[in-house]
Amino acid sequence: MRAIETTDLVKKYGELTALGGVSLDVPEGEFFGLLGPNGAGKTTLIRILTTLLKPTAGAARVMGHDVVKENALVRALIGVVPQAMTSDLDLTGYETMDIYARFYGMHRKERGGRIDELLDMVGLKDRAKDLVATYSGGMRRRLEIARGLVHKPAVLILDEPTIGLDPQSRHVVWELLERFRNADKLTILLTTHYMEEAESLCDRVAIIDYGKIVALDTVPGLKKQIPQKDSIELGVTGVDMERAVEWAKKLSGVTTASYRESTLLVSADHGAEAIPAIVEGLRGMGGRVARVMLKEQTLEDVFIHYTGRPIREEEAKKVSFLLGAGVPTKWGK
Amino acid sequence: MHRFLAILERDLRKFIRNPLVVAMSLLMPIIYLVILGNSFQGELKNLPVAVVDLDGGPYSEKVMELFRAVEAGPATLDIMQVADQGFAMEGLREGVFKAVVVIPGGFSRDVMRRNLSEIGLYLDNAETISALTIRASITGALSALKDEFVSIREERAQMRLRDIELYKKIDYDQTLIPGVVIMAIFLGAMTTGAFNMVMDKFLGVEESYFLTPLSKTDIVMGLIASGLLITTFLALIVLFVGSLISGLFFWGGISFGAFVLMLAVIILSTLGLQGLMFMIMGRINHPRIVGVLGGFLNVILFFPSGAIYPIESFPGWLKAFAFVNPETYSVHAMRALLFKSAGLQAVQGDIAFLAVFALISVLLGMLVFKRAL
Repeated sequence: MRAIETTDLVKKYGELTALGGVSLDVPEGEFFGLLGPNGAGKTTLIRILTTLLKPTAGAARVMGHDVVKENALVRALIGVVPQAMTSDLDLTGYETMDIYARFYGMHRKERGGRIDELLDMVGLKDRAKDLVATYSGGMRRRLEIARGLVHKPAVLILDEPTIGLDPQSRHVVWELLERFRNADKLTILLTTHYMEEAESLCDRVAIIDYGKIVALDTVPGLKKQIPQKDSIELGVTGVDMERAVEWAKKLSGVTTASYRESTLLVSADHGAEAIPAIVEGLRGMGGRVARVMLKEQTLEDVFIHYTGRPIREEEAKKVSFLLGAGVPTKWGK
Repeated sequence: MHRFLAILERDLRKFIRNPLVVAMSLLMPIIYLVILGNSFQGELKNLPVAVVDLDGGPYSEKVMELFRAVEAGPATLDIMQVADQGFAMEGLREGVFKAVVVIPGGFSRDVMRRNLSEIGLYLDNAETISALTIRASITGALSALKDEFVSIREERAQMRLRDIELYKKIDYDQTLIPGVVIMAIFLGAMTTGAFNMVMDKFLGVEESYFLTPLSKTDIVMGLIASGLLITTFLALIVLFVGSLISGLFFWGGISFGAFVLMLAVIILSTLGLQGLMFMIMGRINHPRIVGVLGGFLNVILFFPSGAIYPIESFPGWLKAFAFVNPETYSVHAMRALLFKSAGLQAVQGDIAFLAVFALISVLLGMLVFKRAL
């Protein structure tokens, strides 16, 4: 069965199209990443999948249930970690978990064991009786992940779960997600704009921009699709650079070669593997290789390739004329 | 069923973790009782009045004596004899005196000759209530002079008005208790229930509730139930403490049945106001708006409720508002139960109105509430 399935999902806010026809298939057990710049439509898509927003057109199903017609069923099957911190500061960690478990109709016996287990896994067992107000940002996020899992959902949906966390906390969250995924055969959908997050966690990644999916594949698959490859820079002396370039272009796996003063620039599919042959060849020509630098192609290159370099002019948030900046009327970021 | 109880528990836990708010919710109505009870004393006292005696005859002396008697007795007036009329009038304009009495030259002669004798009374009628009191007090004092004067001539059967109080002596502070209790209920309704929802929206926490299987009814019911519990608790404490401060000690005076009815009135009033708050705040997402609305609602519901001034004296349009104001019925019922040893018969109308109001407002409140971001 498909854990998540959307067909031509459209969401419009008046003139503005936040989602312009998104079709996705996420099989059960997959760790799926949704990548995109700010304002690309990630949160809008998440909010439709989590029944908070109704699509303007198209359909979305979670574990086979329509998110509009069977929204109550869908809510019971998903666990969600929203982008903003949404835990009550005036409750303790344990109370937060317990009250949430009751929202899902879990009985006392069921709850106790599950909560202890989860709090232990996210490393908050010792702080369970402290108010959430005393937690750090990372602890609060871990609690919210545990909260999203309290009812053993089939699908866990996280909207930029590591935003605003320090590198240590971020790595802890990644480890947790890996562990939960393996332990519960969970399907996980995660939005992020941290490339290394998607690269290290996700089975498949969709890049979304201007409300449309512009690329969808595994991380290696995505890398293959773009012309930019690994690039190698070699500082060389004692050879004719023109000759070296001509020679390098003939090597297998090398796509382009050029030079700038005494630096030879080579693009290759697998840079690390190409380096020994290039260095040996240059030596054979009587050259001396002073330094080698390899820049491997990253998901960021893929991301920039598909979404472009310019900084986005984000759509101005709506602010009430009558109330001022008290609360901007937010919609999908 | 379990689900709305979880919301209820959440709110109760959050409430007890804010002891300052608990203390404020209790103290404010009680301080209100103390301040209102002492500033709006039932009868006015020590109103400064200047007397200018231009006559200096035996009857003007007599008038002065009568005024002094008022000063010494009920102490309504604070008499100050002033020689210069111009100085007295200046004092009246400046607010030093609330009134100036001028006894004209030839007053004693006119009285003796049984001509028309007049005393001038200048009132600061910018202060209506003290002006009315002074006029009544001075007229009363002078009537004694007239009686004495007349009584020499002829004996007449006198008509006298003697107050007969229907209920045992009630102090002004004590009559305020129903108003103070309804104010505690209002403040409770304002800061629990719907307000928690506004705060959840403001802090962005509500998103996490909407993501769970909680239904709209679960959420509204949970919030109203917690508000009802907290507010009833606050109102009862305010009732006890207010009663203690004003020396009413109602527990000695009312039956168990009357106390149960009192509880019913408090619960129904709370429910009605909770529902009303949901109707008004259901779509609000900023506590600042609640602050502005709160002060306004308190005034427009509290003052026309009859808690401090009788409804009968209102102009027609305000009477009409008082007629639909739930606080009017709460105050009426509580007053009847506390002071008149009334039973169900006397308050069943109030209870019926409050019950219908509660039902309608809670239903409408639920309609207004949107389970969406």
